[in-house]
Amino acid sequence: MTPAIETIGLKKRYGSHPAIHDLDIAVEPGTVFGLIGPNGAGKTTTLRMLLDIIRPSSGQARVLGLDPRGGGPALRRRIGYVPGELRLEGRIRGRGLLRHYAEISGTIAPKAVEDLADRLGLDLNRQVRMLSKGNKQKLGLIQAFMHRPELLILDEPTSGLDPLVQREFLEMVREARMRGQTVLLSSHVLSEIQQTADHVAVLSGGRIVAEGAVASLRLGQIRHVRMSLDRADPDAIRVELAAIPGLRDVSITGEGETRVTATLDGDIDPLAKLFARYRVTDLVVEEPDLEESVLQLYGNSPGNARGKGVNRG
Amino acid sequence: MVRVLPVLRRSLSDSWRSLIGWSLGVAAALFMYLPLFPSIGGNGEMQQIIDSMPEELVKTLGYEQIASGPGYAQGTFYGLIGFLLLVIAATSWGSSAIAGAEESGKLELTLAHGVGRSQYALESALSVLVRLAWLGLLSAGIVLLLNEPSSLGIDPSNVFGVSAALVGLAFVSGTIALMVGAATGRRILATAAGAGVAVIGYVFNAIANQVEDAEWLRVLSPYSWAYRELPLQGGTDWTGLGLLWGLCVVFVVAATLILRRRDITG
Repeated sequence: MTPAIETIGLKKRYGSHPAIHDLDIAVEPGTVFGLIGPNGAGKTTTLRMLLDIIRPSSGQARVLGLDPRGGGPALRRRIGYVPGELRLEGRIRGRGLLRHYAEISGTIAPKAVEDLADRLGLDLNRQVRMLSKGNKQKLGLIQAFMHRPELLILDEPTSGLDPLVQREFLEMVREARMRGQTVLLSSHVLSEIQQTADHVAVLSGGRIVAEGAVASLRLGQIRHVRMSLDRADPDAIRVELAAIPGLRDVSITGEGETRVTATLDGDIDPLAKLFARYRVTDLVVEEPDLEESVLQLYGNSPGNARGKGVNRG
Repeated sequence: MVRVLPVLRRSLSDSWRSLIGWSLGVAAALFMYLPLFPSIGGNGEMQQIIDSMPEELVKTLGYEQIASGPGYAQGTFYGLIGFLLLVIAATSWGSSAIAGAEESGKLELTLAHGVGRSQYALESALSVLVRLAWLGLLSAGIVLLLNEPSSLGIDPSNVFGVSAALVGLAFVSGTIALMVGAATGRRILATAAGAGVAVIGYVFNAIANQVEDAEWLRVLSPYSWAYRELPLQGGTDWTGLGLLWGLCVVFVVAATLILRRRDITG
């Protein structure tokens, strides 16, 4: 089957600064593909090239089987796009703005706009300039989803959305996938990708540093652990903790109440069993931010040293 | 849902408030200046004032003909206030159409839909033209309306030529702003280009008015192309109009070709 998106040796330079190096990705039709990476990794640059907003310096991209430039407006009617930095302004009302985008999109089913607005909880009668960032983002999502495009390209689509709306959005992505739409989603929030994507590519410094099925990447395993244990002997705990595989950066402080912080890169079960033998007064298990995960896991890969942080993701 | 000229209709619906503002400005200028003509221009008093002014100043302002009705309308409105208002409007519309839209992120989202780059540039130019043409039409209407009561003695058939010159002159600024916006994506540069062309054209014309050896400067001045043959007195100057509108076409074509090639950054 022809991939919905395929890039071969895609490169983008800004002047002498390389933003994207030899990008090769393939997104199968009907799947959700997550592009993750820290800010400045080149996510936005990549997505913009797929929409012919910017042109590659070399290499090739095929979107729905067509060259983004050659495909022209007809190709882009088949795509729904949420830009990474959505800025909407003007006195125009939400409904009017969507009517405008509807005219330059694919065919829209009756009521599609109203249904989406209801789901996301957006009042379409308000002027766009009066909307909060989150509500503008909802408009951005509606204009991307409303014509049920074959391909959705979503650049940091949940930025500014509150958790409830984020959940609704993830549901919309799942439904899109069930209908056979293809979704390419970029994010710097790991959990968002984990909940929706079939396949993930990790972008760092303009290169793919890891790629595979979501579960196959070890990204999800790193945890910061912080706990307080009542009346525990610090030395005994130190010895016990040393036996737990994958635990590092251990620090133990306090008397009477013992405070422990550590980073776990491995199975959490042995650690949980250990706590269970103490009276736990506080326990925090945190997912590290994506940037940290990527750097920790792939920090030695060649892409990281150069070009990091210069361009917006 | 495909309908014609989506970019044009959006830009018009986004800017009708500002268009009303410009219309009021144009109307106010005409209603303020033209009715004064009988009291100061028609009775020779104006000629006395002009005679007492330094010759260079009179020539700079183009007031040599101001004692006649058409000369008065030319000197006050078409050559000065109207020129100023339309050029400012055209420059601001031309620079916001591409450069402003790019800076605000609107262009990225529009082009990510089913709108081609050429289509965007051409519809943007058309949108500026439609608004300028409205201001030209409005001013022509008011001039014709005030012609009799203000004893201007303007031959109504000449109003078309001078309006086409005024609109064309402003459109030169609008289209160069569009082109520079297409090339750079920077609103401030686009505005500078539009205003710069108007100022240089005006200054070259003023110098040519005063210094005989500098007559050749008129070749480089869109302002001279528009008004040198005094279209309000002598009738439509097709050569001047050809130069003005030809230059506009060149700028629009260039804007289109440049926008097609460039990365949109926002």
